[in-house]
Amino acid sequence: MKGIPVQIDQVKKSFQSLEVLKRIDLSLRSGEFLAVVGRSGCGKSTLLRLIAGLEQMSAGEIYINQEPITGTHPDLRMMFQDARLLPWKTVIKNVQIGLRTKETTIAEKALEMVGLTDKFDQWPSSLSGGQRQRVALARALAGQPKLLLLDEPLGALDALTRIEMQQLIEDLWSKQQFTAILVTHDVSEAVMLADRVIVIEAGKITFDQKIELARPRERNNDFVYYEQMILDQLIKKSRRTHYEIEFTV
Amino acid sequence: MQSIKTLINKSFVVWVVPVIFLVGWQLSGSFGFLSAETLPTPWQVVKGAERLIVDGSLIHYIWISTKRAFIGFFIGGLIGFLLGFMNGLSRISEKLLDTSIQMVRTIPHLALIPLVILWFGIGEESKLFLVALGVAFPIYLNTFNGIRNIDPGLLEMGKVYGLKGKVLFWQVILPGALPSILVGVRYALGVMWMSLIVAETIASDSGIGYMATSAREFMQMDIVILSILLYAFLGKLSDFLAGLLEKRWLKWHPNFSRSK
Ligand SMILES: Nc1ncnc2c1ncn2[C@@H]1O[C@H](COP(=O)(O)OP(=O)(O)OP(=O)(O)O)[C@@H](O)[C@H]1O
Ligand SMILES: [Mg+2]
Repeated sequence: MKGIPVQIDQVKKSFQSLEVLKRIDLSLRSGEFLAVVGRSGCGKSTLLRLIAGLEQMSAGEIYINQEPITGTHPDLRMMFQDARLLPWKTVIKNVQIGLRTKETTIAEKALEMVGLTDKFDQWPSSLSGGQRQRVALARALAGQPKLLLLDEPLGALDALTRIEMQQLIEDLWSKQQFTAILVTHDVSEAVMLADRVIVIEAGKITFDQKIELARPRERNNDFVYYEQMILDQLIKKSRRTHYEIEFTV
Repeated sequence: MQSIKTLINKSFVVWVVPVIFLVGWQLSGSFGFLSAETLPTPWQVVKGAERLIVDGSLIHYIWISTKRAFIGFFIGGLIGFLLGFMNGLSRISEKLLDTSIQMVRTIPHLALIPLVILWFGIGEESKLFLVALGVAFPIYLNTFNGIRNIDPGLLEMGKVYGLKGKVLFWQVILPGALPSILVGVRYALGVMWMSLIVAETIASDSGIGYMATSAREFMQMDIVILSILLYAFLGKLSDFLAGLLEKRWLKWHPNFSRSK
């Protein structure tokens, strides 16, 4: 199983009069891990939702595996900020969602991968937030996706659980080699996981950088260098606008 | 202090007040504070029940009333349920039907009794019609709201994970709407008994309501009281059954699984 390439071609998206994505061009190799960072409200989720087929674009075209998308894609799975487990299904049944077989072996394996073998028959309401996200990850992986979209999946977790989950995601990604797009607020998470980081500002991609660090990554000087570069990009912009405001006052 | 608390937690405690009440009622009758024409004693009611059990009419009437209640509930519930699903799932259907349904709903259904008697006489149809009409609206409203209030995040998840049509309905929509539907069922059960009591009292020649009306003509106070108690008992019983359904179908729900 291998990842599939994604190409985003002059995509625009407006909600009524609000132009959220102005013109996005982006292409991802098979198996590439892309991180998308940007300020709150800049359109990161909108971009993912367009790729997932949950939202219609206003202009442009998105190609998954060279085919223009017309809706949801069978080889695509998405993880949301909240786990979105069905509360009326047990953990194992939740992981089986979207699988064609009634066999539980695939789901069991996926739960094993995320380290939740003892929770098969529990209701989601009895799990902790971190455990729920693990189940959601298992559910996404059980479908053997070739493209995995992650919309701030770790945003609500504590620092320690986050680090564990980041390692888990990196591990599974390097084993299964799916293409991954991760939206995150956390710059060091982006540098930790991604082959390439982009920054979206005012509806456009304003920064696109390969992260050339060996894996598994450590927080050494080079790591901090990348982190700082992305942070500068994010903050510079706001400083500039800040000055402009001061000057006009 | 501790022992009082543990005593209160015992389940028999809920029966203390009813038992004191019954004993007081019996005693005030036996000592002549209450005349049998005003209020017969519990014992006299039991005697009356025995009389009707022996001649077979009590079981017959209970059976008739219960049958009416549930057939009417089934018809009305099914109609409400189907309409609720149609309008919940389709905006077009909602546009077409919801306003009309809301308009009919504002008519108190028991106000239709004179009309119903003219249409159906005092036969079975009139009772079933009234029960079904009363039951349909709460089931409709709660089914409709249940569907409209399903977490859109879950529907989106279902879409990305390739759930469509029947699978989406059985795995996401129906279970998502179920808590609300069951609230509707509980409420509708109350409406069901009330509609039936009124219909049977006014327009009937059998059933518990008829038993009460005819007993009144012959001044059989014990039977009148017996009918009231029977209705209370049947109402409680159906509420209990609805509770069992909730426990069974909503066992995933933290509000229902929180038992000791
Ligand atoms: N369905 C919608 N209707 C109207 N406006 C929307 C809709 N969805 C998103 N928007 C708007 O689009 C903009 C971008 O939203 P989006 O959710 O993509 O931001 P984001 O970058 O994911 O932010 P965050 O980091 O806070 O999640 C916001 O201004 C939001 O108000
Ligand atoms: Mg977002």
